[in-house]
Amino acid sequence: MSNHATHITPDQSVFTRLSSVATPGVTAGILVAALIVMPFLLGGSWTFTLGLCFANSIGVLAVSLLVRYGGEVSIGHTFFTALGAYSIGVLDARFGISLWASVPLALLLGVTFGILFAWPSRNLHGIYLAVTTLALALAVPEMINNFDILTGGYEGLYVATPFIPGMSMGMQRYYFALVMLVIVCFAVARLRLSRQGMALLLAKTHPAAADAFGTRRVWARISIMGISGGIGALCGAALAFSGSTVSPGGFTFWQAIFLLVGSVVSFYGLSLPRVLLGGAFVTLVPQLLSASGAWIPVFYGLALLGMILLGHYMPRIRKAMSRISEVS
Amino acid sequence: MDQMTNALRGEGIALSFGGIKVLKGLDVEFRAGEITGLIGPNGAGKTSLFNCLTGAYSPQQGTISYAGMPLNGLPPAARAAKGIVRSFQHVALCPDLTVRENVMMGIARNCTAGWLSAFLPLPRGRTEREEMARAADTALSDLGLPDVGDKFPGELPPGMQRLVEIARAVVGKPSVLMLDEPAAGLNNSETRDLTAVLRKLASTDLVMVVVEHDMDLVMSICDRIYVLNFGEFVAVGSPEEVRNNPDVVRIYLGSDDDE
Amino acid sequence: MSFWDSLIYDLFPLIWSGTITGCLYALGALGLVMIFKCSKVVNFSHGNVAGLTAFLVYGLSSGVLMSLSWGAAVLLAMLAAVAIAFLIYSIISPVVFESDLTSTIATLGFGLIAQGITLLVFGADIVALDLPIPRFAMSVLGLLVTGYDLTVLVVAIATIGALFIVIDYTKLGIAFRAISENPFAAEVCGLNLKSVHYFAWITAAILGVIGALLIVPTTFLSVTTVATFMLQAFAAAVIGGFASLPGALIGGILVGVMMNLFTFYVSPEYSSTFLLGAILVALNIFPNGILQKVGGTRV
Repeated sequence: MSNHATHITPDQSVFTRLSSVATPGVTAGILVAALIVMPFLLGGSWTFTLGLCFANSIGVLAVSLLVRYGGEVSIGHTFFTALGAYSIGVLDARFGISLWASVPLALLLGVTFGILFAWPSRNLHGIYLAVTTLALALAVPEMINNFDILTGGYEGLYVATPFIPGMSMGMQRYYFALVMLVIVCFAVARLRLSRQGMALLLAKTHPAAADAFGTRRVWARISIMGISGGIGALCGAALAFSGSTVSPGGFTFWQAIFLLVGSVVSFYGLSLPRVLLGGAFVTLVPQLLSASGAWIPVFYGLALLGMILLGHYMPRIRKAMSRISEVS
Repeated sequence: MDQMTNALRGEGIALSFGGIKVLKGLDVEFRAGEITGLIGPNGAGKTSLFNCLTGAYSPQQGTISYAGMPLNGLPPAARAAKGIVRSFQHVALCPDLTVRENVMMGIARNCTAGWLSAFLPLPRGRTEREEMARAADTALSDLGLPDVGDKFPGELPPGMQRLVEIARAVVGKPSVLMLDEPAAGLNNSETRDLTAVLRKLASTDLVMVVVEHDMDLVMSICDRIYVLNFGEFVAVGSPEEVRNNPDVVRIYLGSDDDE
Repeated sequence: MSFWDSLIYDLFPLIWSGTITGCLYALGALGLVMIFKCSKVVNFSHGNVAGLTAFLVYGLSSGVLMSLSWGAAVLLAMLAAVAIAFLIYSIISPVVFESDLTSTIATLGFGLIAQGITLLVFGADIVALDLPIPRFAMSVLGLLVTGYDLTVLVVAIATIGALFIVIDYTKLGIAFRAISENPFAAEVCGLNLKSVHYFAWITAAILGVIGALLIVPTTFLSVTTVATFMLQAFAAAVIGGFASLPGALIGGILVGVMMNLFTFYVSPEYSSTFLLGAILVALNIFPNGILQKVGGTRV
């Protein structure tokens, strides 16, 4: 190696020193610690809203994961969140079974249906999956309303059985979502290091190369949708428990698109801070704009486009900035 | 005689696309312990033959076998499991993975850690990852790239990327190594390094096949050369024989005249 | 005897009306396929933009915005559709050449904006928007054929015929075909990718407006009608293979007829679920579109 390559300007060394202190793990740790004490600082309604933020963050993560590891876009993840939420809701309201059993069931259903939906388009361009998920998103409310014996139709279900008996329900709703989010983020971070995760990434960028080293394309297409569907179902489980009610209003076509918008706004990030940003966007913007409902789609659309164009022009802007700083 | 049995063999390979015969019943034998070159002008069918051997295409006629095992009908992934690996003409490294991780993908097929290890910090997955990383580092330093493991492929010059790609192919100790134009896009000194690396890789139980345009490279490293033109072999033999073959000279000089 | 009765009184009319609506799905699907064929982008804003322009026709002719004649309103709405398509493509074109996935997501953003603008300007109410066509009905071989049916058929055939003539014989159409086959080679040959993309986007927008205007009289016009109508168009495009214009046409008619039969004989409450099922089954049986299967698979 030549000296030139290892030469570091003072500017960069400050930056690297800072970034070496603030490793992703440390940042996430500080963030989690802060979130753990939050309920003691905030009022009940904010605690409730934050819990929903965590739940939606899991959904945003599911969509981002599909983009990052599969190179595919889903606009129908409400199917999976609905699947998870109604697993919790139905088992709780109809049979009185608590989360110990219903969360694993939700995960299992999510993975299974993810695989089933990826199967027909396994050999095709990723666009076909997107169109399939569009149909999925539109079919979800219809299915919920027509299975009203189980789902309670428009009225929905109320989730009341505590996870840990004796603990305040408001606290449980908050911490359950937080714990789920942390677990899922951790699992996704592990996935990046595993051979399966690496194989998925290789299959996304160079399917032929992945094929030549023993990773079949079909395996990759199906596995990533299974994982993403499973995480989507966990999002639904968290939504059901933290939001206390499960009703069709939470699984509309718009909600599906909002999850995607949240994913784009967080730049398809998979780290805890990034997905929290996406989840907060999905949760808070409709609340802030609730007085002027028609502005919500406009705002979401503009945010989506803005982030995409920013992502596109960012390298150029950065280059221009560095040129300016070099000159000055 | 051991060398004869561990050969990659093709008999009567014929391939056509919509009535156009690309390969016209080829018999080939790539022996272990030798570096075999596959050359020919553009459109001669080199890549088609290569793809038939790796499983990307399935020929309409003929049989392909390695060490007596028939390979016909096996997809690339299944051939990879049998130790038949290839490199790509256009560098096919994943930009999201570090160089070390890219090389690790070359042995990932031997791993058995399941999905649980993928999501949870179980000892099994960690040991396997460490073993893979160690093998990848060894392969990288064998190819003269000891310090690049933590970099991303995009940070390396094209010549080094090509070597990383070869490292990925050899890290799993393949029995057949097929290189698709390994010197494409390399400058002279990079090509010289590559030549040295390939010579070093040749061993008694490895079948090595090189498809290449660079005549100097082929002539200097190959033990045997097949010359392909219009889907047929024009000449087979040692570099010396091929160089003196009047047909080969005519093909290469003739094609120069046409341009 | 009752079997034959039901055949004549139910099945044939269902097939006939399914074919009519199917032609409209085909108009929507053709637009999607045109854009996908040349730029590999799935335009998820198609339905919402078409819905917005249908509302524009309503607004301009009913007195909400202006009180123009129907023809003038349609003309203005067409111009607006062309302008919107031009604007959308201009904004995303730098992204199109980088990633078809990202640009597909970007079209969703435009869909959201179009939907929001419709809501802001026209509200969430349901309005009626009829076509100025003679109202008559006649019986042909036991089928009830209305003036609306004939209008749709004539307009659809004329539009699709014109589209195929443009694609087959004009310079832009030939460039469109060349670029759809092989964008790299076509660009090397000096064809301008961007102008062909503009051609596809603008043509698709016009097809969308025509489809939306013709479909509205059968339902009502609301902020979601046209957008849901596009799901049928998507299903039609998938059944046709998403990259085949004749496939989209056949897919549209198939979807129209199947939807009609399904809602009549099975249930009207599961129409989206049915479409989802149809898409999944179609992808499994003929992944490259219905025409590829009939014509024999590729080697």
